[in-house]
Amino acid sequence: MTGLGRIGLVAVRELRAERREPDGIVAAVTFIAVLVLLESLVVGPVVARDADIAPALFWIALAFATILATMRSFDRELEDDALEGLVALPGGRDALFGGKVVAIAVVLAIVALVGGLLSLVLLDLPLALPLHLVVVVVLGVVALPPVVVVDVVLALRLRARAALVPILALPVLVPQLVAASRGASAAIAGDAVGALSWAGLLFAFAVVYGVIGLTIVPAAIE
Amino acid sequence: MIETTFWRGSVPRVRPLLGIVAAASFVVASYMALVWAPTDAVQGDVYRILYVHVPLAWLAYLAFVIVFLASIGWLWTKRPVFDAIAVASAEIGVLFTGLFLVAGSIWAKPTWGVWWTWEPRLVTTAIMFVMYVGYLLLRSLSPDFSRRATRAAIFGIVAVIDVPIVHLSVLWANSLHQLPTVLRASGSPALDSAMLLTLMVSLAAYTLIYVYFMSARISLELARQERSWATT
Amino acid sequence: MRPVQASASLRDVTVVFDDRPVLRDVTIDFAPGLTLIRGPNGAGKTTLLRAIAGLVPLARGARAIAADPLFIGQRTMLLRALSARENLTFYRRFRGLSADGVEAALAAWGISARDRDRPVEQLSAGERRRASLARIRTEPLAIMLLDEPFTELDDAASSELRTAIGAARDEGRTVIVATHAHPELDALAGATVGLREGRVIVE
Repeated sequence: MTGLGRIGLVAVRELRAERREPDGIVAAVTFIAVLVLLESLVVGPVVARDADIAPALFWIALAFATILATMRSFDRELEDDALEGLVALPGGRDALFGGKVVAIAVVLAIVALVGGLLSLVLLDLPLALPLHLVVVVVLGVVALPPVVVVDVVLALRLRARAALVPILALPVLVPQLVAASRGASAAIAGDAVGALSWAGLLFAFAVVYGVIGLTIVPAAIE
Repeated sequence: MIETTFWRGSVPRVRPLLGIVAAASFVVASYMALVWAPTDAVQGDVYRILYVHVPLAWLAYLAFVIVFLASIGWLWTKRPVFDAIAVASAEIGVLFTGLFLVAGSIWAKPTWGVWWTWEPRLVTTAIMFVMYVGYLLLRSLSPDFSRRATRAAIFGIVAVIDVPIVHLSVLWANSLHQLPTVLRASGSPALDSAMLLTLMVSLAAYTLIYVYFMSARISLELARQERSWATT
Repeated sequence: MRPVQASASLRDVTVVFDDRPVLRDVTIDFAPGLTLIRGPNGAGKTTLLRAIAGLVPLARGARAIAADPLFIGQRTMLLRALSARENLTFYRRFRGLSADGVEAALAAWGISARDRDRPVEQLSAGERRRASLARIRTEPLAIMLLDEPFTELDDAASSELRTAIGAARDEGRTVIVATHAHPELDALAGATVGLREGRVIVE
């Protein structure tokens, strides 16, 4: 079994569990729907339609949704020490990070789809470049999980981890959030070059943090 | 072990001397900064806060690079001394970063008319400050020595790699920025020679203070480690 | 006297948790056959097994193991949302084995065809434990570490487990079992390690 194959096995196992007990995805989708509604109410429908405001609020909400889904995923692992069963396998430590990142990116794609559609419809956003927006969202969805999975692993089994994870993750996520928000507003406003350059940056972030995570996370898991 | 003789023997012997040198150079640097250095033509006396601001920024970044190196050292060798260096440098770094932000605000008010501005270097440092507060929080919530050291080391490494990326993303996000004062694009500093000398003396003095704090904090941490390991 | 060829060994191992030593200067060689780890609650039995499996950082000392072990912990190590079959298949596939034999192993441990495909969550505690013990059969590794494997088992399942342990021993596998009870295992054991407060007291 190759390293990639093992990552695939962990991802499939995770997605199966999520499909059977979709609490992570339900929590994250509900969360983002509530936030989209609240945001538009709080800042007012006119401001919320702003091509800069709507994406920024959306990505911050999605960052929190990533944290929710990832923490739920690891809580499930801890229930009967399934995590330890995985880590005890040869290559288990290494496959854990990659498998979780892949699975959470898939979950997040669904959350982003629902949240994105909801934002577009509720706010009646005039969308200039839909395809560019899709590219930005897909790459943004890939760029968020590596950092969050690292931080959830670092906070594993600690008390107050629900507070600790956002404190650790959000400052580190600043580049991803800036790039995703700017890229999305560029796509909405019709700036094709802008959207694609931010999307490229998001891809670079996904690669950089993916590599860091793969290298460093196995050491953190006991 | 070499470490034990070094930290138990040499360092405590040298530390009082180091403290005196650090304090003396701080007095000299303050005198130069407040009295000896000429008044700036544009900003007037307000600019003198530069002699605090720049050294604090330098130390904030130095402290976190040390955290980074010590973190790698811990992950590589699992020698407890590296964890002591990391925690010492992180705590002192948070202190200096906090002072840097305060000094920056005090400087920003008379020059720019606001307490806070979204100037990229300021924003980056603020985010760095939050990251290392998180680093210390992570440590304080982890009860077990070796796990605490490993988890903190990983976060320390990720955070340091993140800082330049945060800086770049903030730069790209808003185009209004100034080039750093000492390293202008032309290569020649904008400060006159007396100002530059004062700045260099200030940098040296603050670095000595950092080294002094480090030696004291590392010894304290090693003593703590020894006490908890004594039960084994 | 130390066995000639050890399949796993610990040398002067100290493990510290929350600044408290859980294992102190433990040196043991494990030979093929059954080794029992005995000791009261909190003696360090679980930590000893986890140290052999490489799951805890060693504060001091060294660990050597001839092959990757099968480690079945005090809890079932099954993901609750998945079925027993999915869980066991995952473990097999991860080790590069095919999905064959999972059905038969679960059947042998008394998990009915219907229960094999229900989420583990819906099974009783005893069924979950038996499903996890079926890994002895689906992951036939040379070294096996079992932590309190008799927990939640009824008499029939307990005797099934004794048979499985005996069979593994006869096949020349190294079986290390931590348990505070079940004196009947002594007859099968080639060695017994007594632990108290993290130290080896008899070997």
